[in-house]
Amino acid sequence: MQIAAETLLNGLMLGALYALFGLGLSLSVGVMRMINIAHGDLIVVGAYLTSAVMSGAGAGAFTALLVVIPMMFALGWLLQVTLLNRVVGRDPLAPLLLTFGLSIVLQNVLQEMFSADTRSLQAGDLAGLGFSVAGVSIGVLPLLSALASVALLGATHWLVGHTHFGCQARAVSDDPGTARLVGVNDRRFFAIVTGVIFSTIGVAAVLYALRTPFSPTAGPERLLYSFEAVVLGGLGNIWGTLFGGLVIGVAQLFGAKIASGLGPFFGHLVFLVALLARPQGLFGKAAS
Amino acid sequence: MTAVTLSNANSKTTLVRISAGAGLLVVATLAVLIPWFSTFAVQRLLVEVFTLFAVALAWNLLAGYGGLVAIGLHVFVGVGAYSLFTLSNQLQLNPFLLLPAAAVFAAAFALVSAWPMFRLSGAYFAVGTWVLAEMMRILTLNSPWLGAGGGMPLEAMGDIDRWTRNAGVYWAALFVGVGSLVASRQVLRGALGLALMSVRDSEPAAMASGVPVARAKIALWVLCAVMAGLAGAVSYMNTLQVTPDASFSLNWTAAAIFIAVLGGIGTLEGPIVGTVVYFLLRETFAGYGAWYFIGVGLLAILTMVAAPGGAVSLIPEKWRLDPFRIRRRMAESDPDRSASFPTT
Repeated sequence: MQIAAETLLNGLMLGALYALFGLGLSLSVGVMRMINIAHGDLIVVGAYLTSAVMSGAGAGAFTALLVVIPMMFALGWLLQVTLLNRVVGRDPLAPLLLTFGLSIVLQNVLQEMFSADTRSLQAGDLAGLGFSVAGVSIGVLPLLSALASVALLGATHWLVGHTHFGCQARAVSDDPGTARLVGVNDRRFFAIVTGVIFSTIGVAAVLYALRTPFSPTAGPERLLYSFEAVVLGGLGNIWGTLFGGLVIGVAQLFGAKIASGLGPFFGHLVFLVALLARPQGLFGKAAS
Repeated sequence: MTAVTLSNANSKTTLVRISAGAGLLVVATLAVLIPWFSTFAVQRLLVEVFTLFAVALAWNLLAGYGGLVAIGLHVFVGVGAYSLFTLSNQLQLNPFLLLPAAAVFAAAFALVSAWPMFRLSGAYFAVGTWVLAEMMRILTLNSPWLGAGGGMPLEAMGDIDRWTRNAGVYWAALFVGVGSLVASRQVLRGALGLALMSVRDSEPAAMASGVPVARAKIALWVLCAVMAGLAGAVSYMNTLQVTPDASFSLNWTAAAIFIAVLGGIGTLEGPIVGTVVYFLLRETFAGYGAWYFIGVGLLAILTMVAAPGGAVSLIPEKWRLDPFRIRRRMAESDPDRSASFPTT
């Protein structure tokens, strides 16, 4: 019973991180109607970037974020302006293939720059801290990262629902043509959205790299977990993405209890079964 | 389907067709005779060329004609290879005789997987198939009876002498490569091809005019699964060892996508041109390791941005040949035709 409670709790905390992975994807699906295949690789890029900033400036992981977030924003803005704006909206498959090429390029560039060895970020004093509630032990670092993920998802939800930026985002998402008529420059707006997406990727990257060692080829799996969280929750629904992430996280950790190597397999399996039961996602509207 | 008849079918085209047929016959004979006048290294390279071509062709058929972009197409490569190896090792049978069984397994797997996968569409289908491939990789990785991470050797090949083995695998690859091309051409010229092209151009319009959309897509999915499955089976007969990480590897699909994008998505000539370009680049720059993949990836991105139709689209329209005769043209002399939709 205690083990089950611990697995559930750890699964929920892992799932919150997956939801944060999915947040950027959820935004790009919602606003630009595109899936960025390089999403997972960009999380890994963010992790290496943080690692470089930390060793370069001798700073801690959270201090490094102050540099990493603006850098990721700039990277996203630049990528959208130079490349993605040329294919977005043309045919849904063009951005897919373009970002697929980008994903292969990023993996190999990382491999050339940092070798294929795994790395990890030093969490400092936080790493070993933990406490226990009713016999269930909880790590401070996973708990903090889960809380940060939920807070960031909440902030984004508020941003989309209550600000001028969110209003523009919803307008462009509903009908780019009409949005242009009322003065929203969709291409310039997309660049800002991608900047925001990359900023969330930066935060996700640091929280991920503090928990798990990473390597240049770790990206595709991050993409799949993000994707599952987004589709499972229902497209364009941020709280749905959180729920989807939690389901995947819990499924993975209970799966790993059944057979140690099969954790991610059970995550995928739950995704497929949920897909058969509710193709539109758990919180999606009936028609896609 | 009378609308497809070429308007200027005269004696000149007949002459062209006869000489093209004769040329094809010579090339085919030479291709079959290769094991007698080449080294094992050349044959092994050609096996790679033909099998990767078949996978690229399958990917291109799905994406270009079915509107089904499958990032997880490599799942069938693995399923084909593993079913061949397992059957051959368990039954102690000659692997060449089991190629049809590998095709059947790939087809059956495609039919079952269509159930969840076809709930998704567009980009979601693309990533969904990848999830499927990842599941199969993890599953084989954790199956001791399939050799787990180390994979398994093809035991029955030990009884066959080296020349026969290499030549046999080469012929099998030749058969898979050329067979896939011929099958694709026949399918595209037939009713299924017409249905697929109408779905690609406008799914609602196709549905409204009575095209069995779902059935056409599933038929294409199964056909491409068989092509990729056979390619996988033959490819790992070449290396004599199959492992989960190699056979269920994204590298298969990545290469297929690069080939199709570089050559031209939605044409049959595209994968041929793309395969030639891909292997020329690979053999020239293989020494550069990761930089080679970076170069090919950048080239594909550049192609997507600057020439989405690939290398084939760079040839001016009037010089473009239609060697497979799969393009459907409206007969120009008959304007009334445009009003009557061809129904399958």
